[in-house]
Amino acid sequence: MIPITRMEAEAELRKFVGSEAYIHSEATSFVFVRNFKVQVTQAFIAGEGSFRAALRFDGHGWLRMEALTHYEVDEHGRLLLAGYDDKGRMNVALHLGREPFPE
Amino acid sequence: MNKNEQAPKRKLLAVFAHPDDETFICGGTFAKYAAEGVEMTLVSATRGEMGRRMGNPPYLNRETIAPARELELREACDHLGIGNLMFFDIRDKTVEFEDEELLTRRIEDLIREIDPDVVLTFHELYGGHPDHCAIGKVTTAAFRRSATRGALYFITFGDAMERPERYGHTRKDVIKVDVQAYNEAKLAAFRAHRCQTEIDEWVWLSDKEALSRFGRYEYFLKGDVNAPQRVQHDLF
Repeated sequence: MIPITRMEAEAELRKFVGSEAYIHSEATSFVFVRNFKVQVTQAFIAGEGSFRAALRFDGHGWLRMEALTHYEVDEHGRLLLAGYDDKGRMNVALHLGREPFPE
Repeated sequence: MNKNEQAPKRKLLAVFAHPDDETFICGGTFAKYAAEGVEMTLVSATRGEMGRRMGNPPYLNRETIAPARELELREACDHLGIGNLMFFDIRDKTVEFEDEELLTRRIEDLIREIDPDVVLTFHELYGGHPDHCAIGKVTTAAFRRSATRGALYFITFGDAMERPERYGHTRKDVIKVDVQAYNEAKLAAFRAHRCQTEIDEWVWLSDKEALSRFGRYEYFLKGDVNAPQRVQHDLF
């Protein structure tokens, strides 16, 4: 995982615009959702230092998340965004893939 | 060669929820019984893949953490002398939502196959984490159904069972295992669980300083408080 630079992470996120994506989304201590499938229509990254991501999907929905710090595109072409605290603990994660993530 | 070859092999089965439960809660006991030649099987229901600690500084993400923690657990098992490791492949944080009957039967089959002298699991109420309580509940049910011999014990945290009265138990319900001589193996296993322990600075101090953080005893609660117990400091 590498520290997010807004433009680069947003460019990666926007590669999913116009297509179906499987999403893993979590606020680590409270909730996770694995493999909901949406048609991504818009994608945004905002902020500096700690970042916000937002997706619009299916013509009627939003997903918005705060506190993202790192990202990578893994060897399967999946975009993995995560937010860590200063001791390496995960606060949030947002993953997008074109195939389902392992259950 | 030694008495272990003549006597029937003593066997222990532990059914826990996450990689590191075995080390953090009762690592010294595993190392002790390994040294005594006990054949040990550990089931980890999950790979701890929904954990919050991702290394410090972080080097894991939600997709890479499962294989990393599996490897760490294998290394910890080597340090503790646990010869057989199995996973139930249940997703971390979802054990309580598994079909209880199916999971119970799976553990029942394992108990019949291994025929252990000792079964360790979590107490279904005192487990502390929903996955712990859930795996403890089904393992207890499986033991009651299938074990024709042997004893069930619940693992307990730290020194809590130094004062069992607080939990409605008496000292007779508690087995107190002296692990002082095995805390070095326990420390090695702590360090094997690197992504989980990097955040704890004491683990990475000198061996001497780190070892001073471990207690001398690990405590177990009898699964059947009426069962006869030869001694109060040995699970077998």
